[in-house]
Amino acid sequence: MTARTSSTSNPLAQMLGFLKQPMVALVAIIAYLLLSLGLLIGLDRGSTVFPLLSMIFFPPFVLAPFLILASPLDGKIKLALIAIQLIILLPLLGIFDSTYLELAIQICIFAGLALGLNIVVGFAGLLDLGYIAFFAVGAYTWAMFTSPIDTIFTINNWTVSANAFYGFVFLGVFFAGVAGILLGLPVLRLRGDYLAIVTLGFGEIIRIVANNLGSPVNITNGSQGLDTVSRPSADFLHPFVIGMEQITGRPIANVEPLAYQILFYFIAILMIVVIIVVARNLENSPIGRAWTAIREDETAAIAMGVPLTRMKLMAFASGAAFAGALGVLYGAKQTFVSPESFSLIQSISILAMVIVGGLGGIRGVLLGAVVVTLLNLQVLKNLSLQINAWKNVDAVIPGWFIIAAAVVVGGLLLYWAYRQLRAALKRREGWFSYLVPAVAALLGVYIAISSFGAQDFPIANWPSQLEPARYERLVFGVLLVIMMIFRPSGLLPEPRRKMELAASKREQEQNKAAGAGD
Amino acid sequence: MATDTTSTSLESAAQGVSVTGWEAFKNSWFYKFTLFPLGQIFGFILGVSVILTVLALLLAVVFPEPRENINLTQQIARQLPDMIIGGVSIGFVYAMIALGYTLVYGVLKFINFAHSEFFMVGSVVGFEVMQRIGAAGEGVLEAWNPILLIVALVLSGMVISGTLAVIVERVAYRPLRGAPRLVPLISAIGVSFLLIDVVRGFAAITRNDFNLTYPVSQVSFFQQRPEITLTPENAPLLQFWFTAANRDEIDIGLRMTSLIIIVAAILMLLILNWFVNGTKQGRGIRAVSQDMATAGLMGINANLMISLTFFLGGAFGGAAGVLYGLNVGTVTPFVGFIPGLTAFTAAVLGGIGNMTGALLGGLALGLIETFLNGILVYFPAFGQRYTPVFTFSVLILVLLFRPSGLLGAKVDEKV
Amino acid sequence: MANLLEVNDLLKTFGGLTAVKNVSLVVPQGSISAIIGPNGAGKTTFFNLLTGIYKPDNGSVNFAGRSLLGLRPDQVCKAGMSRTFQNIRLFPGMSALENVMVGMHPRLNINMVFTILRVGGFAKQEVHVREKASDLLRFVGLGGKGDEVARNLPYGDQRRLEIARALASDPKLILLDEPTAGMNPQESEAAMGLFRRIRDEKGVTVVLIEHDMKVVMGISEYISVLDYGEKIAAGSPAEIRANPRVVEAYLGRRATEEANKNATRA
Repeated sequence: MTARTSSTSNPLAQMLGFLKQPMVALVAIIAYLLLSLGLLIGLDRGSTVFPLLSMIFFPPFVLAPFLILASPLDGKIKLALIAIQLIILLPLLGIFDSTYLELAIQICIFAGLALGLNIVVGFAGLLDLGYIAFFAVGAYTWAMFTSPIDTIFTINNWTVSANAFYGFVFLGVFFAGVAGILLGLPVLRLRGDYLAIVTLGFGEIIRIVANNLGSPVNITNGSQGLDTVSRPSADFLHPFVIGMEQITGRPIANVEPLAYQILFYFIAILMIVVIIVVARNLENSPIGRAWTAIREDETAAIAMGVPLTRMKLMAFASGAAFAGALGVLYGAKQTFVSPESFSLIQSISILAMVIVGGLGGIRGVLLGAVVVTLLNLQVLKNLSLQINAWKNVDAVIPGWFIIAAAVVVGGLLLYWAYRQLRAALKRREGWFSYLVPAVAALLGVYIAISSFGAQDFPIANWPSQLEPARYERLVFGVLLVIMMIFRPSGLLPEPRRKMELAASKREQEQNKAAGAGD
Repeated sequence: MATDTTSTSLESAAQGVSVTGWEAFKNSWFYKFTLFPLGQIFGFILGVSVILTVLALLLAVVFPEPRENINLTQQIARQLPDMIIGGVSIGFVYAMIALGYTLVYGVLKFINFAHSEFFMVGSVVGFEVMQRIGAAGEGVLEAWNPILLIVALVLSGMVISGTLAVIVERVAYRPLRGAPRLVPLISAIGVSFLLIDVVRGFAAITRNDFNLTYPVSQVSFFQQRPEITLTPENAPLLQFWFTAANRDEIDIGLRMTSLIIIVAAILMLLILNWFVNGTKQGRGIRAVSQDMATAGLMGINANLMISLTFFLGGAFGGAAGVLYGLNVGTVTPFVGFIPGLTAFTAAVLGGIGNMTGALLGGLALGLIETFLNGILVYFPAFGQRYTPVFTFSVLILVLLFRPSGLLGAKVDEKV
Repeated sequence: MANLLEVNDLLKTFGGLTAVKNVSLVVPQGSISAIIGPNGAGKTTFFNLLTGIYKPDNGSVNFAGRSLLGLRPDQVCKAGMSRTFQNIRLFPGMSALENVMVGMHPRLNINMVFTILRVGGFAKQEVHVREKASDLLRFVGLGGKGDEVARNLPYGDQRRLEIARALASDPKLILLDEPTAGMNPQESEAAMGLFRRIRDEKGVTVVLIEHDMKVVMGISEYISVLDYGEKIAAGSPAEIRANPRVVEAYLGRRATEEANKNATRA
């Protein structure tokens, strides 16, 4: 990812300077793609450390498109390379191990959601904490009409044909868009932080209502959710899968699920492409400019003839519409829809994606979606798998390793605290608060050494509740705080539109105060 | 306003008007910081209870028999004491949390989304301390003086939650001061999620279980249920009540933990009121909340006052957590969300930034919620499941139609 | 000459304070008028009432043959009345060109389908928008500065950019709120030229709030004087100069006024 670094003062950039030549870059990228793919395919699935290795090797492969985008190649070659990676290499990897395909579908869905939320938060500056509700609208739209469970929509076991899926994608867009307008209408007058809380409330209300509409009239089947939701037919892909089986020489145990995976993967890719195009078209248009204007100064925008409510509703509805389409896809892919999947944490995870990537920028948001989804669905999950794998072989963490790790981490923390303390004393500022991390570091080292001593820690003793896969909140929380403090404009900020987030309210208030005087 | 009162009191002094005993009493510490607020609280609870009872009875007129063999009027009359006491106790919990939102909002004009987690941390700390005391041996908890035990639990919850709040402000909010309004809000959301999982990880490491059950059963004091029995003999004026309930006598069963909440909360609220309105530090906080820059120029250490505000807010949240935990018995790292949102609703309802508003809003919501829970049971189509929906609806409606709250001053928007 | 704007008995109170008290005013088509008055006289409030940012308590506003009462600010803008702000309110993070492009919003086809599918002359509209915005930038003397981010422009340029943005909606009337505040005499002189060109070349009627008497007397054909929310005088510059009430309103507070002038000049 360093290829873009243009500052020549950076020694790394100087070293990698030869990559700036397009031919060299092209060769390097192709080599990179093949190498990362080869490493993944070559992994021994039976190995104890497979989860760990897969966790390490998959991200470089998925992140390749961003590397390609950052390379000095011609635009068309970039597109071709990305297309090859996404259309040929990734499905190929999926034939070897369909979990990667599943991950890729999840990434696409979340990337689409992040792009939708980006329209609302990034473009128009409206913080929506209930965004997942529109995803739910899409998912339920499909599930209610196709699940055989006896809801009021499926009387006499009548369900919509599975291949109506493609039409329902548009229906999902429509319903979610309408939901966006209905929810947006009352709340869009509110100030930024109140809007956030109210949308959070609406999101939760929709979830609670979905959770309870199993009775007296069964609409959503309550908390049990709707299962055996239909999937569009993937039969036409069976010959392809069998053909791939012959070409690769790897026996495929189950053709049907893989065919579905491939189908959904391509639908998801198609949706992402459409969403990117739509988002770009919206951004570079009078509508996009009006959104930016609203984000920067509402009063000035309305005085310049931008109808606030209408433009905000447009942002809300188009963001919601994206989520609706993806919801339909999600319902079909999971074949199961329940209120559990649409909780606040999902909204926050999408917000984290938008923020990690960089508000307002499409490429940044895509990067954020990939990074956060990987962290959430791959890194955490594989850590859990790894711990279990180690549990099964009775692995131990050596005592010396625990002590060494504690000393290194504690030492680093102490060193940091010392530096900060010295600087604070020099500036004659409050130094006291830096004592806290120092004391915490010493305490931590002491606890680590005293409780584990020089004993080995058998991983079998790892508390079952401390399973990393369940700690997604921790990841989102840390990401949000760190990004806000150190990089509010995200990993890949839009060059011009730095973090504006609802325009500087302080400035507005000053203006208001001054404007009232005369 | 402030200058007005001083000038009048100066005038009256200059004119030599003799201060009557009543007026001297009115100016006394005891009246200002104890009797008057207590009277206000009591009057408010009485008023809200009466209104809710009337509304409930009106509902009973419309739906006399929501379910077979259920006479709604009778049920309401029988449950009334429980509903009021339960509502007041949970209302005080909400009020104590709401104070944290309101204090911080008053000073920084910022919604501290992570505040509900200070409450959660308090409830977990209370459990942890009580568990550890109890783990010392059989009957140790019982041997403690129950009042001392409560004070120890509440104090530990206060200190740890308060300190945590100060640290959170220092680490996650202070670097963002002056940034657009949404930046610290997003950071606060992050802190909230982070804290949930940190506490969860702590519980996982220490006992591999995050359903933390207070060992209240080991203390007989907490199990007591002082009962008052009303009969036509000792309460002849309440004849109508006996008729409505279709009972010869009415038992008012008080849960000891509810009583503890009410007493502890009142004591703490009185102390807070005195602290904010009657001490130099409190004046500092109020000055900073009026105008941070000017307060700084007047020699007030604004950062210190903000830290103090966070400590107060966090400490009240933590205390509320301990009391809540004692009352409900089992807490988890996720326990903060719904009470937190309800309390935020209370703060907004009362007018965010206004301490009295937060207190009254909390009490009102607690009572309304308990009444709803008590009555919705009889309406199977709705049921208690919708109580959070009700809370959210109140929040949304208040924000939409009166964002300054019931007690907040309506500010003309200026351009 | 027909009157473009007729205001009758406009009233606005904030709590107990009457900010604008039964002000009546006419603005002839194609004129340059000024509203003057000491600080706090209600001039900006008057503008806010005209443009729909505040709702008047009483009175009527007729503009180009229709009533503006009850219209939202964006509708007022669309009706042909555009404005600038006393304390510059550009979109600070957008480029100068984009600022002007946003100003054209009420004259554009804002349609979701049209925008997403880029059909039916969308590209043509974008080209037109860009060209017209560049023209306007050139008109106010910011040619070649289109790509600069508004917040990075020097103060005088920001003022002119605001005027370009206000002109972008093809207004019939432009309200300029202290357009020369903070400018030195040379800049003020240039600004006066610009105001004249707005009227002469664009055919836009100009109303300005101004403290700088040199500008006011040098450029305006009609002057209205507000004091404590009331209109105390109206007429040609010569009449205003001779009006005893105006002299009193200003001289009575000469010290503050002098200080203000110095402050604005500095």
